[in-house]
Amino acid sequence: MANVVNKKEEKKNLPLKILLVLLACFFALPLYITIINVFKPTKVISSSPISLPFPPIMDNITSVLNDPNVNVFEMYKNSIMITLFGATGCIIVSSLAAYYIARMKTKLSGFLYVYFLFGLMVPYVIVYVPLVTMFNKLHLTGNLPSLIMVFVSGSISFSVFMYQGFIGGISRELEEAAIIDGASSLTIFVKIIMPLVKPCTTTVAIFIGLSMWNDFLTPLLIGQVKTITVGIYTAIGPYASDWGTVFAYVLLATLPVTIAYIFAQKQFIAGLTAGAIKG
Amino acid sequence: MRKKSILFVLPAFVIYTFLMIIPIIGAFYLSLTDWNGISQAYHVVGIKNYIDMLSDARLRNAIMVTLKITLTVSISVNVLGLFVACLLNRAGKMINALRSIFFLPYVISTVAISFIWLSILSYTGVLNTILNALGMGSVIADYIGNAQNAIRSICVIEIWRTLGFHMVLYLASIQTVPEELYEACTMDGGTGWQKFRFVTLPMIVPGITISVIMSIMTEMKQYDVVKVITNGGPGYSTETVTYNIVTQAFGNNMLGYSSAIAVFLFAIIAVITIIQLRVSRKMEV
Repeated sequence: MANVVNKKEEKKNLPLKILLVLLACFFALPLYITIINVFKPTKVISSSPISLPFPPIMDNITSVLNDPNVNVFEMYKNSIMITLFGATGCIIVSSLAAYYIARMKTKLSGFLYVYFLFGLMVPYVIVYVPLVTMFNKLHLTGNLPSLIMVFVSGSISFSVFMYQGFIGGISRELEEAAIIDGASSLTIFVKIIMPLVKPCTTTVAIFIGLSMWNDFLTPLLIGQVKTITVGIYTAIGPYASDWGTVFAYVLLATLPVTIAYIFAQKQFIAGLTAGAIKG
Repeated sequence: MRKKSILFVLPAFVIYTFLMIIPIIGAFYLSLTDWNGISQAYHVVGIKNYIDMLSDARLRNAIMVTLKITLTVSISVNVLGLFVACLLNRAGKMINALRSIFFLPYVISTVAISFIWLSILSYTGVLNTILNALGMGSVIADYIGNAQNAIRSICVIEIWRTLGFHMVLYLASIQTVPEELYEACTMDGGTGWQKFRFVTLPMIVPGITISVIMSIMTEMKQYDVVKVITNGGPGYSTETVTYNIVTQAFGNNMLGYSSAIAVFLFAIIAVITIIQLRVSRKMEV
């Protein structure tokens, strides 16, 4: 009986499903346009922008990769270094700080919580002028490690907030047992807390990692480091109407993130929305 | 934990203080000066920058543009997001695949997305080529060349980019509504629309609030799309507040003045954040 009802429901939903698929196809058109046009010469793009690329050509991508003025691998290297070290660094310092704040119920820890949270209300654009001035004075412009530190500082508020909430929800019994066994705070943190907060680490890593990878203004203004996002912006400049080149750059900039997304859709969606709601 | 564990906080505290808090204090101080970023000398001019802001037509335009974009995008993205989420909620096994497609633009860099749309919307771009091919040459328009169209284009791009995100927020909200409430509504002879109006909508009010605030916050800080699509032009007609701050600071060397505008933006964002934190705290209860 239940089965029959379900089948009826299914049939009733068929028009809805068709509508949704059409909607999704329409929605995905800009992505389709990007993918097919990477493999067409600019002339063909201008005359027939939505036709399939037959025969597909690789000229756009090879010309971008071989352009002596543009070093795509250098851009990738910078972006990877920033994302990897920035996110890891931020996770380490923030989870440590959050552990203290979550476990110590003192006036100081209460103050520190508010102090770290303050960064969440700040539009980041406010710090650019002082930071650029600081970087110029200290001759740090173009220095990758200092730029990574800036990225770490920018994500500390969010990460502390997330970890504090998560650690606060963990029962203390395991820790208390470990203390009786004579374990140090650091051992407890590494061996007990960090494994327990893995879901939180996934969320934070995706949220701050993606924002670091995609950030445009920070690497452009502070440090003037060519990440992939800044790199394609400056590289496209002279070719803005050469659509083949534009699409090739767009593909290069989005491919790593898209591949990661395809393999971990659920984590990406959960991480970005959970992060947004709480942060 | 022991007393000496305060060392746990130290690395985060030092990095955050030096690269976040001190620069913020610096911005507040700079906003009271006439510093141009080049000369060594500068004067403390008090609140002069803030008074100048009142008569700054360019800033007033940037505020209007920001408000237009914020209003258009927040309304569209929330109405459409809720609509698609309602449809998707009944799509059975297809939910996950469709959800992933709608969400994809949200993970891609805004700069890359803007270039994709630039190729579609420019005068010789994809859209006009298709319109021409369909014999609809008369409706061809310059979607970027004049301010009004360009602002609309920026809105379309932002709606496309963030729709999936808001749809997922709504989908999560809708899925928390207990099935019994719908059944009760059916028993009372409720139609589909009545179910939506009297069951779904009241139950997802917290979700709506969060989603609306999120979209407002994102658009209030809009920069990337404007930078790629119009570069603020023609003239400065499509500048947003953030765009205005960055150009005044690094294009026109008005570091003191731009800091004052940044402080002004900070005040607005702070108020919205406090509302947001209040709301999300209520949600957890």
